Amino acid sequence: MQQNNLDEIETYHGEEAVTESSVTTPTHAIDLGSIVKSGVEANIADENVCIEVSNFNLFYGEKQALKDISMKIPEKKVTAFIGPSGCGKSTLLRCFNRMNDLIDSVTIEGNIKLEGQNIYDKNVNVADLRRRVGMVFQKPNPFPKSIYENVAYGLRIQGIKDRRTIDTVVEKSLRGAALWDEVKDRLDDLAMGLSGGQQQRLVIARAIAIEPEVILLDEPASALDPISTLKIEELIYELKDKFTIVIVTHNMQQAARVSDYTAYMYLGEMIEFNDTSTLFTNPNEKMTEDYITGRYG
Amino acid sequence: MSYGAINQHISKQFDDELENVRGKVLAMGGLVEQQLNNALKSLIDGDMELATSVIETEVQVNTYEVTIDQECTKILARRQPAASDLRLVMAITKTITDLERVGDEAEKIAKMGLELTDKQGPKSYYISINAMGNLVSRMLHDALDAFARMDSKNAVEVAGKEPESDDQYSAILRQLITYMMEDTRNISGALDAIWTVRALERIGDHARNICENVIYLVEGKDVRHISLQQMEDIVSDND
Amino acid sequence: MNKHIKHWFDTGMPFVWLNAGAVSVSVIMVVGLIALIAVRGLGHFWPSNIAVFDYYAEPNTSAERLMGEIVDEETVSRSRAGNPGYQGETIKRNLIKSGNRDISGLDFSWILDAGIKNISYPDDAVVVERREWGNFYGFLTGLEKDGQKISNNDRLWETFQEEIERNNKVFKEIRHVEKDLIGAINYKMERLRLKERSLELEGEKTPENLQIINQQREELQREYDSYTTQLEKLYSKFNSSSFNAITADGKKITVSLSKVVRAYQPNAMGTLDKTLFYCEKFWEFLTDDPREANTEGGIFPAIFGTVLMVIIMAVMVTPFGVIAAVYLREYATQGPFTRLVRIAVNNLAGVPSVVYGVFGLGFFVYFLGGSIDQLFFPESLPAPTFGTPGLLWASLTLAILTVPVVIVATEEGLSRVPRAIREGSLALGATKAETMWRTVLPMTASAMITGLILAVARAAGEVAPLMLVGVVKLAPSLALDGNAPFLHLDRKFMHLGFHIYDVGFQSPNVEAARPLVYATALLLVVLIIILNLTAIRIRNSLREKYRAAEQS
Repeated sequence: MQQNNLDEIETYHGEEAVTESSVTTPTHAIDLGSIVKSGVEANIADENVCIEVSNFNLFYGEKQALKDISMKIPEKKVTAFIGPSGCGKSTLLRCFNRMNDLIDSVTIEGNIKLEGQNIYDKNVNVADLRRRVGMVFQKPNPFPKSIYENVAYGLRIQGIKDRRTIDTVVEKSLRGAALWDEVKDRLDDLAMGLSGGQQQRLVIARAIAIEPEVILLDEPASALDPISTLKIEELIYELKDKFTIVIVTHNMQQAARVSDYTAYMYLGEMIEFNDTSTLFTNPNEKMTEDYITGRYG
Repeated sequence: MSYGAINQHISKQFDDELENVRGKVLAMGGLVEQQLNNALKSLIDGDMELATSVIETEVQVNTYEVTIDQECTKILARRQPAASDLRLVMAITKTITDLERVGDEAEKIAKMGLELTDKQGPKSYYISINAMGNLVSRMLHDALDAFARMDSKNAVEVAGKEPESDDQYSAILRQLITYMMEDTRNISGALDAIWTVRALERIGDHARNICENVIYLVEGKDVRHISLQQMEDIVSDND
Repeated sequence: MNKHIKHWFDTGMPFVWLNAGAVSVSVIMVVGLIALIAVRGLGHFWPSNIAVFDYYAEPNTSAERLMGEIVDEETVSRSRAGNPGYQGETIKRNLIKSGNRDISGLDFSWILDAGIKNISYPDDAVVVERREWGNFYGFLTGLEKDGQKISNNDRLWETFQEEIERNNKVFKEIRHVEKDLIGAINYKMERLRLKERSLELEGEKTPENLQIINQQREELQREYDSYTTQLEKLYSKFNSSSFNAITADGKKITVSLSKVVRAYQPNAMGTLDKTLFYCEKFWEFLTDDPREANTEGGIFPAIFGTVLMVIIMAVMVTPFGVIAAVYLREYATQGPFTRLVRIAVNNLAGVPSVVYGVFGLGFFVYFLGGSIDQLFFPESLPAPTFGTPGLLWASLTLAILTVPVVIVATEEGLSRVPRAIREGSLALGATKAETMWRTVLPMTASAMITGLILAVARAAGEVAPLMLVGVVKLAPSLALDGNAPFLHLDRKFMHLGFHIYDVGFQSPNVEAARPLVYATALLLVVLIIILNLTAIRIRNSLREKYRAAEQS
């Protein structure tokens, strides 16, 4: 307790390991733990796994779109997929809620486990899976209904009819999507009347209304102006406390801003999966380096 | 991995911008190196004209620093560089600060030279100052060379010479103290000489900083405040 | 010069002119068509002045006198005019509607312009519209009731009008008793007969059941008798009065007031009176039943029949077309077979409509209708119930005729629903069916209605197939009335399109009917426009709602 400031500075200069004693004096002491932690990178191996992809291959007819992908997506973190167009990042994202089932010619090998359960198992109900794994698309796609009905859609699908329950969830979700203050007075207006950024947040509210475990974002800000984009990014930052978020983006700076972990994909292969600050300052792979510095192609 | 080339960006303009700013750093480095050499020469030879020219060159060095800084800021704002590009810009901003300080120290040496020529006293310690000056000057030269070639191995080698300059500094210091104790009339001159040596020692530190910047730029690892051994390990690891 | 023309071509102006020209021609044709039928049709109801002509049919014969409206005038070649004694290569003649078919045998006469000696427009010239024999043109001379003169000369015209009005009230009452009250009794009697017959067929014709039926029948008979006595009284009242008149050439006639619809003196009427009269006549045209083999009176049953048939058709064609389109677009595996089906559907729209009529007659009327009769209405056989052309079969035939339009339009609408909307719904855990019901179909509503608009426009104007499957010249009763089950799908009905054909080509009095053809055609056009505008309004309001979504 009587530790002298000079001593601490000395310690800091001397690069010695942070001692317990400095942590016990939070009032004057510089919390070296946090300084060091923010500098030292988080480690994927230490995270809880939410989605585990193992040796996953995907074919569109004869053409292989995903090649032997294996990765572990950590729980309650933001994971970004970057890569050039056609590299398979959106395809991989759409595998997580089996959106690719809609395309007839798709065949897959390998498996994807959500909380330890293979989602491509025969006895998995796809509708249930999609309730657990929500998705937000590139262009805002609100239904041509009122703002309220858009958010209530997922609940109504589940057969929830109680007006009060729905009211509560709608408000909670709109607050969660940072949209409540903007729309609370016009919940019955058509969702189409909202601006692009508001529509996208509405779509996120719609997704979180059914309380999924994972939210997949497929280039959620690519159709938006910079301010709306920032709002969406801020929202992603807030949502990661509650949800595991996987985001596909063309915008590398966006991936750098919002994500904890970033995966770089190229021609259906996972080139590098690393924590974001490492990937953007000192990537392990030359291909990643070339892509993020704009040397690709 | 070859970091030899800044070019090969899709945007040629970006290549040009980086090449341009790097060229300016090297030009600034050359200027500072010349400044240091001239300062040393003026000190040893008592060449007042040369000393004055060193002091005047400082203005150019400062202009270089400001210009390069602005250009780096511009690149950061407009290009949002990542990975090696980002490290290059970061290394450049740090390096020019070091170079500018080297310039300042060279100016100090030149000023000292002006004063010392007026004063009387033994000039025999000039030889050891000259020797240390050569060492530091070579370090700076090699550091800039490593920067120009983005050669982390050379950078480690140069950084490894820094303790040598420290040793020389202590030796000269002892020598000068002896002089002062021998004859109190020498104190004023010796003190000036101490300042000069001190400046040289600082330049050695800056040269090492530049080397660290080069290693950061090439290897992507922050090597400040770690031992030379660790530094060598990092560089050889990444091969 | 050439250079100038070349330059002009290079500016692209010729193409603009070409396009603008095409549009102008279309607009002119549409406006011209509507204007033509409007002028020809609407003019019919205007009370023209009545002229009294003194003329010579041939030079050097004695003068004749004729009274009537000038309907038309034309210049024809000498031989066409029947080589009269007047000079000239061509001869101008006037068509006069002179009425009095009961006296002269013709309602229309030609008078040569050259032979006219004198034209006068006497104020007291009277036109009497009659329930038979067409109009009477002449001068009123007196009124009789039960064989006695009842009015003095001062108030002759006013009394005549009062009497007509009173008589028309009696006529309305008679109609009410005959059609509604006695009609209902007849309907019930028929039902009783059928019930008896069905009991017989089922082998349950027990004395008890028979007694109940007979009891009901007696009750109805009593009611019927009381109405008959009432009718007799009304009829004696109705036939009690008559009027005396004299024609332009001096023939005297007496006509019972029961034959009179209305009488007026056009030469004495001011513009305001004529306008009021015009509206009255037009209203009658819209709301009354036809008289005199459809050449007089109104066309209400035809309007009613057309609208009812189109509505029933719409009710049947929309769900069917939509369901088919949804299956084709959303559920069927897209491949050669679906392509084939699509081609077939599109080609169906090009089949001549009369072919559908033949199909309707063969399949619906004889096969389906016949089977229904045998299964559900054996009691009325051999008289067919559904095994004969009728409203249901006509509507069904038109539904088949128009279903390709609805299918194509709905498919178009389904393909316009963005994939993002469907995926958005699926991503929220909705199944495909839930997505269809909650999102895709509501968004397709405007396209469905577009299909419906096209279907209605086509169906309302179609005549040929209807002649085979249910339309008649004169339907005894409307298909919708007060007798349960209110909507009688087995009944035959009247249709505006067919009415035009019938009045124009099958009428005994073509000259008299010609304006009616135009008026009916105008009405048909207006009806289709109204149906379309309604549908377009609905569609636009829906489209407004979904437009933003479709664009994203």
